[in-house]
Amino acid sequence: MTAAPTQRRRTAPGAAALLRALASRLGAVLMVLWGAATLAFLALQLVPGDPVDTIIGVDAQVGEETRARVREDLGLDLPPWLRYLQYLGGLLVGDLGTSFQARQPVAEVIGSAVGPTLQLAAAALGLAVLLALVGAVLSRGVLRGFVSAVELVAASTPTFWSGLLLITVFSFGLGWFPIIATRDAASLVLPAVTLAIPVAAILGQVLREGLDAAAAEPFALTVRARGAGPIRLLGHTLRHAGVGTLALAGYLLGSLLGGAVLVETVFGRAGLGRMVLAAILNRDLPVVMALVVLSGLVFAVLSQVADLGARALDPRLRSSERASG
Amino acid sequence: MPRHARSTAAVALVVAAGFGLAACAAPSGDDADGGTVTFAIEGGNIANGHMNPHRTQLDSSAMVLRNVFDSLVAQNQDGSFSPWLAESYEVADDGLSYTFTLRDDVTFSDGEALDAEVVKANFDHVIDPETTSFRAAALIGYNTEQPEDSAYREAVVVDDRTVRFEFDRPFAPFLSGVATPFLGLYSPASLELDQADLAAGSPEATVGSGPFVLTEYVPDQELVLERNDDYAWAPEGAEIGTAQTLDIRILPEASVRNGALTSGEAQVIADVLPTDVDQLGDAETEVWELPGVPYSLYLNVNRGALQDVRVREAIARGIDVEADVESVYGEGYPRAWSALTSTTPGYDAALEGSWDVDAAAAEALLDEAGWTGTDAEGFRTKDGERLSVEWVAWTPQPDDAAALADLIQQDLAGIGVELVRSVVEPAEYNARYGPKEIDITDWSFAGTGGEVLANHLRTGGFQNASAVSDPSLDAILDEAAASTDPAEQAALYEQVQQWNAEQWAIVPLYSPARITASSSDVEGLSYDIYGRPLFLGVSV
Repeated sequence: MTAAPTQRRRTAPGAAALLRALASRLGAVLMVLWGAATLAFLALQLVPGDPVDTIIGVDAQVGEETRARVREDLGLDLPPWLRYLQYLGGLLVGDLGTSFQARQPVAEVIGSAVGPTLQLAAAALGLAVLLALVGAVLSRGVLRGFVSAVELVAASTPTFWSGLLLITVFSFGLGWFPIIATRDAASLVLPAVTLAIPVAAILGQVLREGLDAAAAEPFALTVRARGAGPIRLLGHTLRHAGVGTLALAGYLLGSLLGGAVLVETVFGRAGLGRMVLAAILNRDLPVVMALVVLSGLVFAVLSQVADLGARALDPRLRSSERASG
Repeated sequence: MPRHARSTAAVALVVAAGFGLAACAAPSGDDADGGTVTFAIEGGNIANGHMNPHRTQLDSSAMVLRNVFDSLVAQNQDGSFSPWLAESYEVADDGLSYTFTLRDDVTFSDGEALDAEVVKANFDHVIDPETTSFRAAALIGYNTEQPEDSAYREAVVVDDRTVRFEFDRPFAPFLSGVATPFLGLYSPASLELDQADLAAGSPEATVGSGPFVLTEYVPDQELVLERNDDYAWAPEGAEIGTAQTLDIRILPEASVRNGALTSGEAQVIADVLPTDVDQLGDAETEVWELPGVPYSLYLNVNRGALQDVRVREAIARGIDVEADVESVYGEGYPRAWSALTSTTPGYDAALEGSWDVDAAAAEALLDEAGWTGTDAEGFRTKDGERLSVEWVAWTPQPDDAAALADLIQQDLAGIGVELVRSVVEPAEYNARYGPKEIDITDWSFAGTGGEVLANHLRTGGFQNASAVSDPSLDAILDEAAASTDPAEQAALYEQVQQWNAEQWAIVPLYSPARITASSSDVEGLSYDIYGRPLFLGVSV
């Protein structure tokens, strides 16, 4: 604690330190990207199945020469190491390649699917945070057992099944949210709820645990001793619990993207989830690669942001770094 | 749907505001005078570059694109042809040319007119290597591998309204091919676009002269088509309906499609699973057996014990086809009797009931073939060697196929034949398929007519998994391919089917069917020879 004021006065080295910190964070992100691209490339080399076979399909009536031409069109006739280098080179200049299936630049193909998935994920995340907060607050009272039981059920329910259940009740049964409608915001409700359920449950569990831990700390006693009510106390403990929840950002990203595959399939929505599934099934290597690299990018950036967010929430993290650095 | 539009929009606004997403809300208006037909399909891979009929091989693409693209002729469900964009056509006696006279009143939905040049441009586009046609070219007899070896030579513009197709040798299935959506005609403006644009599809690129016009396309989700009000060139005898909008909704989950139909959200659903047919309440279902070769076992006549025709017949008679198929597919897929399905032109109905399951007869055949010993596990042996055959399938093997294979395996164990099942990666499969090092394999193969038998049974045929090479059979198949007389052709293909019923290179199991269901609100829905729904005449 004592080191902080002295460092704050030395502005010039502070800026350099900031730059250094930024550079090291950027370096970490780039390493993650390179690792993701390399692993994805290796994995896709090892996965059995010929992309040319899947592109041509079982109904096609073509022979070896057309296959060879398709292979050449796709650049698959080149040795793997050359393709790897070409791919990395492309990545450096922001070129993700051309989709085997759609024959369009991967960036365009993915760009067209990003919007609907972002909408879905944002709506689901917003809803999940809301539900988790409500659950955590409710669980401070007599409803504790009930809330934690609901969370457990929600966390263990397969997304696929809960989606079908919601469709059956709210679309086919009550007719509130027709699954056929795709153009109004109502069409987002059921998919977002489906996707939010497991995320809310996990968030809720972590948040509740964090609240319990914070409430057991000495400062909570101090707050209460000052005469603060439960709501006021929650304002303090939530800040503590929030740090642990932020650490879940990567996990949440994974559940949202993974859940989107199922939700988009069940609800017949366009989006990245459908694209991932189709690209894998079709061995559309450039699209799979790009999606892996992009998820790596989002993941890396998100963890850096979560890290910074945790610092903002928890002064102890900041001071310990300064003390050590 | 109009019934729900207001209430859901209200809920939507509340919810969207709650989510902070009000900006995304764009409630749709209802502008349909003649009403909207919602058609839910599985949709598979359409979004992955399968919107160009000349390039794609997908059946679901054909089903969707038929609404936008017309063909020169139409093929009716009974196999006969009706004039369409061509008001008449003539086949030369030697089968080496087809001359079409075009209607003079056809315009594409972008205003371009149909003439002989446009037809030629379309057929040239089909065989252009740039198009990389996976199906259309083969359907008209063009060999993309060895163009010089093609039956199809070229399209010749005779005059404004006359186009002639010339052949180096007769190619009987030409008209059937021309009638498919794969040979639908693009507006000449579309043909100027990049292949990638055509393959991706859009209201700008996917332009034909069909009964509907593509107005909105969200890949993997929905295609909105509006009725082409100028449409006056339907196939002869076809009615034009009043439905204004055709909303094709892509719903990959079968149970969701079923629910959409039974709840009234969709009026027509395609790709119904055979086992779901009895769960659709009072919906009308169309079960259309696909023409071609049924789902069958292909017994390699050059491998081990299978070289003996008695063993092959014993395998065919040892399987309780009827019971096995019904227990896996319910009422949906009918059992097959011949190497062609019952809807294929040239089908030999005389084979029906001719080879029902008979374990005793099968055992007698195996005894006769010398497989008289029994080993510790109860399998037959000859000279100390077990009667064992390997069935090789490729991954991913669908659950239903695996379930059927289990039953067949049990049946054959009952007559002392060991069926070893291998499910291998496609690459390994292809490596073994090339040199025909597979005892038994399985598939069904859709085709327009008896000519699919040539792929499967002629020496060197691409689908000849049974490795049959019989000069007298080749002669029959060649004669059938060259014949332009349907009756003569049918008689020749009947001979081929009878050959198979004696030689058992192909053991037919069931006929895959396209199952479509529709609600009683829909009128005028019809089906083509492949059982694909046609929306031309639809009213709601």
